[in-house]
Amino acid sequence: MIFWLSPHLTQPTALIGAKAQGLVTLMRLGLPVPAAFVIAIPPRPAGRPAPPPPPTANHDAVRPAPPPPATAAPDPAQPAPPPPATATHDPTQPAPPPPATATHDPTQLAPSSPATAAHHPAPSPPAAATPDPDQLAPSAPTTATYDPARPAPANWTDVRAHRSLLPSDEALKTAVVRLGAEAVSVRSGAAVSMPGMMNTVLDVRGPVAPAVHEVVESWNTRRAVAYRDLHGIPHDLGTAVIVQAMVHGDRDDRSGSGVAFSRNPGSGSPEPYGDVLFGDRGDAVVSGECDTLPLTALHDREPTVWTELVSALTRLEAHYRDACHVEFTFESGRLWLLQVRPGGLTPRAAVRVAVDLADEGLIDCSEAVRRVSPHQLKAAVTPRMAAAEILTRGRGASPGVATGRVALTADNAVRMSGPVILVRPVTSPLDMHGLAAAAGVVTSRGGPTSHAAVVARGLGKPAVVGAAGLDQLTEGTLITIDGSSGEIALGEVPSAPGESDPHLRRLLTWAAATHRH
Amino acid sequence: MNLVLHTLRCVGHASLPRIADAAGLPEPEVESELIDLAVDGLVTRSTGIWGLTEAGKTADADQTTADLDASGQRFTVRAAYGDFLVLNLELLDLCSAWQLRDEATINKKRVLENFSDLNDRVGPVLAALPRLSRYRERLNAALARAQAGDMAELTDSMTSYHVIWFQLHEDLLTTLGIPRT
Repeated sequence: MIFWLSPHLTQPTALIGAKAQGLVTLMRLGLPVPAAFVIAIPPRPAGRPAPPPPPTANHDAVRPAPPPPATAAPDPAQPAPPPPATATHDPTQPAPPPPATATHDPTQLAPSSPATAAHHPAPSPPAAATPDPDQLAPSAPTTATYDPARPAPANWTDVRAHRSLLPSDEALKTAVVRLGAEAVSVRSGAAVSMPGMMNTVLDVRGPVAPAVHEVVESWNTRRAVAYRDLHGIPHDLGTAVIVQAMVHGDRDDRSGSGVAFSRNPGSGSPEPYGDVLFGDRGDAVVSGECDTLPLTALHDREPTVWTELVSALTRLEAHYRDACHVEFTFESGRLWLLQVRPGGLTPRAAVRVAVDLADEGLIDCSEAVRRVSPHQLKAAVTPRMAAAEILTRGRGASPGVATGRVALTADNAVRMSGPVILVRPVTSPLDMHGLAAAAGVVTSRGGPTSHAAVVARGLGKPAVVGAAGLDQLTEGTLITIDGSSGEIALGEVPSAPGESDPHLRRLLTWAAATHRH
Repeated sequence: MNLVLHTLRCVGHASLPRIADAAGLPEPEVESELIDLAVDGLVTRSTGIWGLTEAGKTADADQTTADLDASGQRFTVRAAYGDFLVLNLELLDLCSAWQLRDEATINKKRVLENFSDLNDRVGPVLAALPRLSRYRERLNAALARAQAGDMAELTDSMTSYHVIWFQLHEDLLTTLGIPRT
């Protein structure tokens, strides 16, 4: 079952997945999203009501969908929602290369209309600019093999059974032709978020079906199964697949990719924050293998992109009534948003954001209290580094603040007197004695689930992983690290206990008041 | 190859009881071997903790490589390492999920079941070389300790399931001569 993403798509998250729902929200707010369609999540077997999503679910999944904002209706005062990529022939922009459809292959277009036609319960009007083939051929027969009468497999471990529920290769081909992009990305999107668990295939040219199958099958990798097990996500929930016109962050020196948070995810302070990588694709940013620049670098190099991005974040906050983050790409100076998610904050930041949002009037005090789970509250009490000039940063992997002299080898960490911070590219068992002797650890590679991170947490030592620019650190330099925010500062920086955090104190006051009522 | 030297290479720095346990050999035998190795300049001891010297590291790498080539098992071990890497991602996810748990929602039984399932599936990797069978015993024992109620034995002690797994990872890398990335 294929749905074209548009501001008017009203399908539930259970059908199109949280990621597609996020893209629809972006479109409704009039924000630039490359044209895309979603292959819906197959229906669950009859008689099995969908269980409530776990608490980590996307906000759109746990709340009734808000009514489309005013911008969804054509409003001359508002900028028109962007048409799909196929229609964005902006005379001020260099013309995009002709899409695949330009070289018409009569065998592809002639016989069948898009497979989606028969599946739209209520064909949605297209987003202004493009003629919608749904309307051109509203009663055309479908080529998809999807049969709504047939129950979905009870368990997605039978991938072949699932495959029969996907649109046929031919239907996919037709849909991709209609997308009119030279290349597409293929991403997963379940009803609940499973970050990093599923495959994404970028820059697909030619047949898209193999990539779609790869993404669907990644639902059943052991990692994904274990993740669902531990997070209480049903195994038969299934995933949608989003096929989207590829935008190229690596096209030229006015292109790039990044991740942008509406507020600082480490501290919660209310300014945009994130990473940007010029001339590269989004996967390079996410992998952490490249040295990214702070988001503010956009301000200087691509001021238009910066302004648009900041404005998008503001509107998204107002919509979600929460801090959120987007994945973005800019291609030849033009901004595109590829994903949006609310939240994604460290516990202390979540506290600050909840309190600030209440102060800003976006939510009330009792909602602010509800926003912060007991688990987050407990973690928010962990001491944090006081404000300081940040030397570099990585990802916080084991919370807490530690100050010490840099030791570049485990042996030196043991040998040096006084507290040390062990700084290594990666850690091996040969570094364990150094880790045990150190007050904290920093690595330049690896993520929050690396061996180093697990060992540091096991030992209860603050850890920052995947930190850029460590080669500037010389042995013996005094540094302070914050294993919650991932920040690294020169010298000794005092740590502030959670209890002294004014935002936390206010939230606790509100919580007490809520309980009394 | 010298099993005591190789064990110390994979364990890192350790006390005699830990080295003997990891090698699955009696302590007096291991101590005697360590003293011989120290005489040869391959290991050192400082405040009761044994560790390899650079020469010890090189000697172990040479011996392990020669042994693997003599056994004709390089291809098998290489394939086992490929399988291990997939399981390693799962194990690290699992350890992290456990360590970052929300006490209100975590299901300890499911966590243990997932560890147990992974423990079964790493079996073929451990069958790639006879000496890897010691990891089978050690991993089983760590899991059994956790199942008996000592949940710190999953990720949070020096004898934890993760620490043993980490050593297995190091062993495979060292055996194949692959640098850690």
